[in-house]
Amino acid sequence: MHDEPVLSWKVAGLLLGLLLIVATALVKPLGVSTQYVVTEAVALHKVAPAVAESNEYLNKYGEKGDWGVGYGWMLVLGMFVGGSLSALITRRFRSRANPSLPSMWQTEFGSSSPRRMMHAFTGGVLLLFGARLAGGCTSGHMISGISQLTIGSFIFGISIFASGIITARILYKRRLAS
Amino acid sequence: MKLVLGLAIGMAFGAILQLGGASSYKKIMGSLLLKDMDIIKLILMAIAVGTVGIYALDLADMANMSIKPTYVVGIVIAGLIFGVGFAVAGYCPGTCIVAAGEGKTDAIVTILGGLAGAALYALAYPMLAGLIEVTNYGEVTLPSAFGINGLWIAIPFSAILFLLMFKVLKDRYE
Repeated sequence: MHDEPVLSWKVAGLLLGLLLIVATALVKPLGVSTQYVVTEAVALHKVAPAVAESNEYLNKYGEKGDWGVGYGWMLVLGMFVGGSLSALITRRFRSRANPSLPSMWQTEFGSSSPRRMMHAFTGGVLLLFGARLAGGCTSGHMISGISQLTIGSFIFGISIFASGIITARILYKRRLAS
Repeated sequence: MKLVLGLAIGMAFGAILQLGGASSYKKIMGSLLLKDMDIIKLILMAIAVGTVGIYALDLADMANMSIKPTYVVGIVIAGLIFGVGFAVAGYCPGTCIVAAGEGKTDAIVTILGGLAGAALYALAYPMLAGLIEVTNYGEVTLPSAFGINGLWIAIPFSAILFLLMFKVLKDRYE
């Protein structure tokens, strides 16, 4: 089973930094989390336009009468495609024994897929609630924001790692104790 | 044209994250447990390269910057919530997209959770708007706060990050 990364952190970090520079020169810095809202705004404007227009937050995304997907949404779609292709080419696609269970999680919490799904879902809810309140996520706020020396992005980066490190220690207390 | 460019940049972004192990639950949790510092160092390297490049572009007036507003209280609360989600899911909003592309089904569920979280925020927004107004200093950066050219900060900052990557983090945890 292949699970070690193909590229070292040095090469991957360098490439990511260069990509950020190219993106900033051509369009704008990298970002992901806004597109979760865009997806919902686009879908809701198709299904129930009245409900969509009554929501103050969803209304901030896109122009009236133009609820299509744009550059940012295509970027996120590209991430899915790019991740798939590189995993297929390097023979890491679906390399887990059970596609829903990371082996490290399994060692700590057992082999219950529904339980892992609960964690994955709850984590996702907190991630996007937090990202939307902050105005960005790991890529848009932390990597792109700190690269632009934005003061709020330093604060966001420190906050997520402080909270993430504490939470990880609580979750993995058995592993850390042994 | 913009759409094709978005797809191309996104594909490169996804491939780099996948090849660098940033979409791996084990690598992300390893970083949060301070056992395996690769992902933290990957992020620091991207920032160290990106910050000098962006401010060099800015010197030539070619950087399309996007500065987010700094509202201290709201961002700290947001970061604390995000961090719990980061450790519980073992992904972030971008890496779960890449991991889903790799066929990891828990990452697909994290995307669904993310859509639910974003919807919840859209509903709660009228009540939370105050968190964005209080302690809001606007679109402030270190160069704008000090009133100097960005490269004067970007270059020494990048040097500090290189020191962290190659000396501090390596010696302590590897």
